[in-house]
Order: sequence, then structure tokens, then C-alpha cells
Amino acid sequence: MRRSMKTLALVVGVVGMTACGGTGDSGSKTGASNDLLIIGYDREPDTMNRYATHILEDIESCVVEGLVTNDEQMRIVPVLAAEIPTLENKGVVLRADGGMDVTWKLRPGVTWHDGTPHTSADVQFTVQAINKGDWKPESVDGFDRISSVDTPDSLTAVVHYKELYAPYQLQFVRGTLPKHLLQGRDLNTANDYNRAPLGTGPYKVKEWKTGEYVLLEAVPNYWRTGTAPKIRQLLFRFLPNTTTRINLLKAGEVHMVALVPWDQVRTIVPVPGIRLNKVVGNGYEHVTLNQRNFPPFADVRVRRALAHAVDRPLLTKTILDGEVEVVNGPIQPLSAAYEPNVRSYAYDTVAANRLLEEAGWRRGADGIRVKDGTRLAFTLITQSGFAIRESVSQSLQQAFRAVGADMQIRLLDGTSISSVWFKGDFDAMLHWWQMGADPELTLFFAHDRMPPAGRNINFVNDTTLSTLLYASDRAIDVAKRNDLLREAQRRIADLAPEIVLYNTAKIDAVPATLKGFTGNPTNAGPFWNVHAWEIAPK
Amino acid sequence: MRLLLRRSVLAVPLLLLVSALVFALLQAVPGGPLAAYLENPNVRSEDIARLRTAMGLDAPVSVQYVRWLTAFVQGDWGYSYADGRPVLLRVLERVPATLELVLSGSVLALLFAFPLGLVAATRTWGERLSRVVTTAGVSVPVFWLGLLLQLSFAMQLGWLPSSGRQSFGATGLADRLSHLVLPALVLAVVQGAAWTRYLQRSVRDTLALPFVNAGRQRGLSESRLVWRHALPNALAPFVTVVLLDAAMLASGAVVTESVFAWPGVGSLFTEALVKRDYPVLMAFLMVGAVTVIVLNLLADLAVARLDPRTREEA
Repeated sequence: MRRSMKTLALVVGVVGMTACGGTGDSGSKTGASNDLLIIGYDREPDTMNRYATHILEDIESCVVEGLVTNDEQMRIVPVLAAEIPTLENKGVVLRADGGMDVTWKLRPGVTWHDGTPHTSADVQFTVQAINKGDWKPESVDGFDRISSVDTPDSLTAVVHYKELYAPYQLQFVRGTLPKHLLQGRDLNTANDYNRAPLGTGPYKVKEWKTGEYVLLEAVPNYWRTGTAPKIRQLLFRFLPNTTTRINLLKAGEVHMVALVPWDQVRTIVPVPGIRLNKVVGNGYEHVTLNQRNFPPFADVRVRRALAHAVDRPLLTKTILDGEVEVVNGPIQPLSAAYEPNVRSYAYDTVAANRLLEEAGWRRGADGIRVKDGTRLAFTLITQSGFAIRESVSQSLQQAFRAVGADMQIRLLDGTSISSVWFKGDFDAMLHWWQMGADPELTLFFAHDRMPPAGRNINFVNDTTLSTLLYASDRAIDVAKRNDLLREAQRRIADLAPEIVLYNTAKIDAVPATLKGFTGNPTNAGPFWNVHAWEIAPK
Repeated sequence: MRLLLRRSVLAVPLLLLVSALVFALLQAVPGGPLAAYLENPNVRSEDIARLRTAMGLDAPVSVQYVRWLTAFVQGDWGYSYADGRPVLLRVLERVPATLELVLSGSVLALLFAFPLGLVAATRTWGERLSRVVTTAGVSVPVFWLGLLLQLSFAMQLGWLPSSGRQSFGATGLADRLSHLVLPALVLAVVQGAAWTRYLQRSVRDTLALPFVNAGRQRGLSESRLVWRHALPNALAPFVTVVLLDAAMLASGAVVTESVFAWPGVGSLFTEALVKRDYPVLMAFLMVGAVTVIVLNLLADLAVARLDPRTREEA
């Protein structure tokens, strides 16, 4: 037994020495360079097929390019398309039967990574594959309005829509599928493509080590420059735990973290060699007031009173460290359709109390207001494990109580909460919408887009608003559409169907030496221009 | 052999019952595989309905269960809802990392528990030391301990890597071991504390038995009494506990794997739970159930080997 114990002690000693001695050359703490950039990423992709994933497409967008993308100012810019089709350049023709034809001119000289030319046949194949019905893409939105695609030549695709469709410019933002590789195959199980897609982008997948990382390597002759991108390899390490991800950034084991939580920013500011890049987000945090489930919310005076009860500047300054801006509506400041001149609800408890009194809500003995035997008491649901939301909920609870409304908080995990709100089975909810790059609001506010038909979970029912929204959906002229959407925003602010809190600013932590990085407010993500990135020499 | 046969036959209805219960429970949890799609405004209700049909989720739960069971017993574990790859492949590719972590954690825990448990059972100062150490060990949250070790040894001192199973581009054993140290240590501290207490109690109870007193009065030395007589008798219940805890250790690895970004079955389980990836969850839970049954059997066999009195009963 003694000999065994001695042997064990020896083994432990050797293992310990080997382990500790081995870190010096582990290579995990090399700084960012043009040879390797390590990104701490919060989740592993489900698939690299851009049409099938329901996770942000950061990694995929380095490999598979769209006909267009959104830049850091949310402008739609061409990538594989030679130009954006519009009414002015005759790329869009409105037909007498109520439909429309959109002509996409493709950029010449672009090839897939295997050398095959990228052509209009790929555009046609993509539409056919999505509309065929035996595949499981995430969404067929827009594609199901396409009746057919003609390919008069290899660089021209004419897309025929059955009806007017205003967001047509973003129809192919997720790119195209390579016909020569995927024709005749089951896309659900084409795992060679789904794990390492063939693209036209600046990088291709070199290795996907499940549970650990995806490694991308630069293509040698990227079409934009004819040469390889400056950064040779991008390593996306999967680090779902936020604290771990931030710790690794501080330790230098990862060089970049996208979407730093706002309450973590101050801990990163002092880290040498790291720059924080902030862009205005394309989403907004708000409290949804469900008029169907909690009838007192159907009275606009109650909704406005609760909006006045919240000191939003104080809330963002304290809980969110001043990293976000207070906003007043669903379309965010970077959008061309943004309307700044809407009714806003400043912190004013006098106004809040007056509105509630006018609506007939009188204070009870416990300070909570009562009307016709009903207490102004409701439950707010929000996501558990999201520290900021939990703190904001508590702040709202105090604010509402000060004007006589009793709000209970119920925390639900991220998956459960989705099914609850989709059924409309809640009183109020603190959450955000990350809006699409297209400024459509119909889905969220039209009277006939309540669940399950849409995301109108405020259950707002206003025909004036719905008329404006549907008119905007049919307006192919961008300026006219934006005018309609601006009017819709003013109407939404008057109705106060939800308490709008703040813009979801996007903050990315990147190496201070990284040139070309701009960030991006849309789902195009911060890697939208990765081909232009370069680590400057120190 | 008879024991093995009897247990195997008994395991079948037990596994069927477990599978039916787990399947029903998973369906009862709010949310579902399509919940993640709802966050995307571009996914409309028509898309949700289309995907539900395509994934077979529109059938009654009983029909879904029978479909799953029929395929599962034939070796077809289905495809992951999350990435469309075969479930068997997804589970198997994660097993080596978890085995590596759990085995290392167990060995470290035993190295910790064995001497401390013995000293605690035989020395007053050892008992005091053990009380402090094991109370701390069983009380400390795994998550917190993991972050603390990460901050101390990886970030402050820079002695060890803070996460992952291997440095990018590294192939050596030293690199693998250096990544293993912290997560294995976290598992070992928590489990070692519990095992120390079991061993301490088991040895102390045995030392109080009449045959040990008889040996003591016949002039046997204290060390001989402990090593030759008390320990072998105390080991039988201890081994049972260790083997049964091994399965629990794997569940403790779920949190550890999350903190240290360890690519094992635990992180796959967490991911599958968040996404309500039923085929992966069912496979994970069935593998877990089989593991517990097998380890139970192994524990019985080990006890029978260590304690001749139990052989006949077995």
C-alpha cells in the first residue's frame, strides 16, 4: 500500500509539473495578428447554411455573401449584385396585374470557391429550392410571393413577384445556393454543405471542431481584390458563458468579443490593447402591454400613465452605465424611415397620477389603485439569467408602485418565454425586438397580425395605424414608403401600445490594432466587411 | 452470471418506463424546438406551422413517442433538430471529452478523499481538519469555484489556460493536461469532500466493531488494525458510493463544462435543453439511465467481490 501511495504521489507530481510547465508554449496567448484573429463567440452555429440557421450569421457571412448587405449605417449596398434594382434605374417594373418584376444584374467575374462562375442560375435555383417545400429553411418570407425567375443571360435574373413586395431589395441578403453542388440533393441532410458551405466570400471553412471552434481561412484570390484578405485565419471559439468569455478577453486568450453586455463594458475599458466599438443598434428594449390579457391596458390613459412613471434617463444611466440611449419608438435612429418628432413620455409622476385619476383609478388603502373592484395589479414576465433585465424589472416595479400600480415579476428561461408570448399568455413583458434591416412594422402593430398571425403581442387594434402600415408595405417607392412609416411612428407614439425604453446599442471589443472594423447595427453583423480588416503593425 | 442476467432482464421495463416518463416530461416543459425561431420577426406563423409538420411535431405525443422508440431500439437515434446531424454522432463525438474529465476528476477526488478520510477516522486532529475541508468542499458552488480558479490560476498567475480542451494548433500531451487541471480540480474538490466523509464514517464505524476491539486487546498495532482489518471491511460501502456517484459526477460536469468551455456531453446537454432538441435530450437521458444501471450492477459485483458475505445474496 505504501508503495502504491508513493507511486501515486509521483504521478500527481509529474502531471502537475508537466501541466504547469506546459502553458508557456501553449500558444493560447499570442496577440492578434494578421496570421490569426481569435473571436470569443457566444454560441455554436446550428448550421452554416444561411437560409436554415436561426442564429446570427456572423460566421456564415464571412463565407457566403448576399447579393446585397447592410453597411454600418444600415444602408443597403450591393455585394454580388452589380447594382440595387429600383424604380428609377428600371430594375423594378410594376405590372398591371398587381405584381412586380425585379431584375438583378449580377457582378461579373465572381466565382464560387471551387472556381465555378456565380450566375443567375444560382439565383433561380435558390428560389426553387426554398419554394419546393421539402426543405426546412428558417423562413420563406418573400420567396413565397415569387412566382418564377427568368435567366435571360448568365448575369441577369428577373424575379417575378405575384404581388407588390416593398422589402424586395433584401430578398437575397442571405446569398444564393450553388446549383452545381446542390441540385438534386436533400438540403436537410446535405451536411457537407451545411457544415462547410461553398461560398464566394473572403473566407472558407477549414475546420469545425464541434463544441470547440470553427476555423476559417482566407481564400487566396478573393474576387474583390484578386488577393487574399489580410488576416489569414479567423478562429471562432465557442464560449457560451459570458463571464468566461470576458475573462478570456482580459487574459488575452481571445482577441475579440462581439456584443459585449452593457454592464460589462466598464470592466473592459481598462484592458490594454482592447478597443470598444459602439454603434447604435437596430433594436429596442421595451415593455409590451398586453391589452387582451390585462384589459385595463386597453385604456390609452393607463398606458400613457405607466410610460410617464418611468425615469428612463436615470434607468439607463444607472443600470446600463449610460451605454445606451433612450428612444421613443420601434424604428431606430439609423434607419432612413426613422421619425424623431413623435410624442415622448418624460418622467412625470404628476402627469401619471392625473391620467390614472382621469381614467377612474382611485388609490386603495394599500396605495394600489382600484376601479370597479379591479386592482391595477399585473405580472411582468422577462428572461431569467439576464442580470440587466432583472434589475430593470425591479426598477419598473418601484416606478409603477409609486403611481399606484402593483407589478409582480415572473422570470422565465429564454425558450419558455418565447412560447408564452407567442400564445399571448402574459400581462406585460420586458424584452427587445431586434428589427430586420427592412423597416416593416406591419408584423408588430397591424390589427390582424396578432399571434399566431404575427408579432402584435400588444394586441393593439387601430384601423388608422393598420391602413398606414399596409400602405407602406405596398409602396415600392422608397421615399413614399418612408413617409408612410414616419406617419405610422407618430401614430404608434400617440397610442403608446408599449413603453419604449432604450436602443439596444451594439458594443464590440476588438484589438486596438484592428483596422477597418466598423461594427454593424443589423443582422449582417460586425463581420459584414471582414475582407477589409487588417491588424496594423505595433 | 445469474445476477447479470437477472439485472439485464429487469432493466428492460425500467428503461421503457424511464423513456416514457422523460419523453412526456420534455413535452410538458414550456417552449419547444421551434421557440428559437419565434425571436426572428421574419419567421411567420406559416413558417412555424410548416416547420412543425416537417419535424413531425404536429402528431400526438403518444405517436411521436412510439415513432421515436421504434427507431431508437433499432439503432436509429434520429437527427438533431438543431443541426440536422445524426444524434448518435453528436453524442459520440462529445463522449471522449467528458470521460476524460470525469475520470480525471474521480482519480483526483480519490487521491484527496482516501488519505484525508483515513486520517479523519483515526486522528482527532485529522477529524478537525476534515470537518473544515469537507464542509468547505461540499458547500462551495461548482460554478463559483470554477470562476475563482480561472481568475486565480489562469488570469492572475497565468500558470494554466483558462478554458477549452486544447490550445489552437497545439498537439502535445502537456497542453492537453494543462487544460484538464482546473476543470478536473473543480470536480474533484466537490466530489472528494463527499467521498472523504463517506470513507471517514465507514472506517470509524468499522473500527468500533467488536472484532477490531478484540484485535486491539490481542496487541495488534493501530496501523495494522486500520490497514489490514478495518479498511477492507470499510471499503465495500465506499466503493458502492463511488461507483454510484460517478454518474452524478457526469451531471456535475454540466456546470464545469460550461465554465471552462469544455466540449463534452454536458455542454451538449445544456445546448440541447435550451433549444429543446428532443432527439438529443432523449439520447442523452437514455445513455444516462443505462449508465446508472450499469454502474449499479458494477457496484453490486464489486461489493460481492470485496465482501464474501454478500456473494450468496447476490
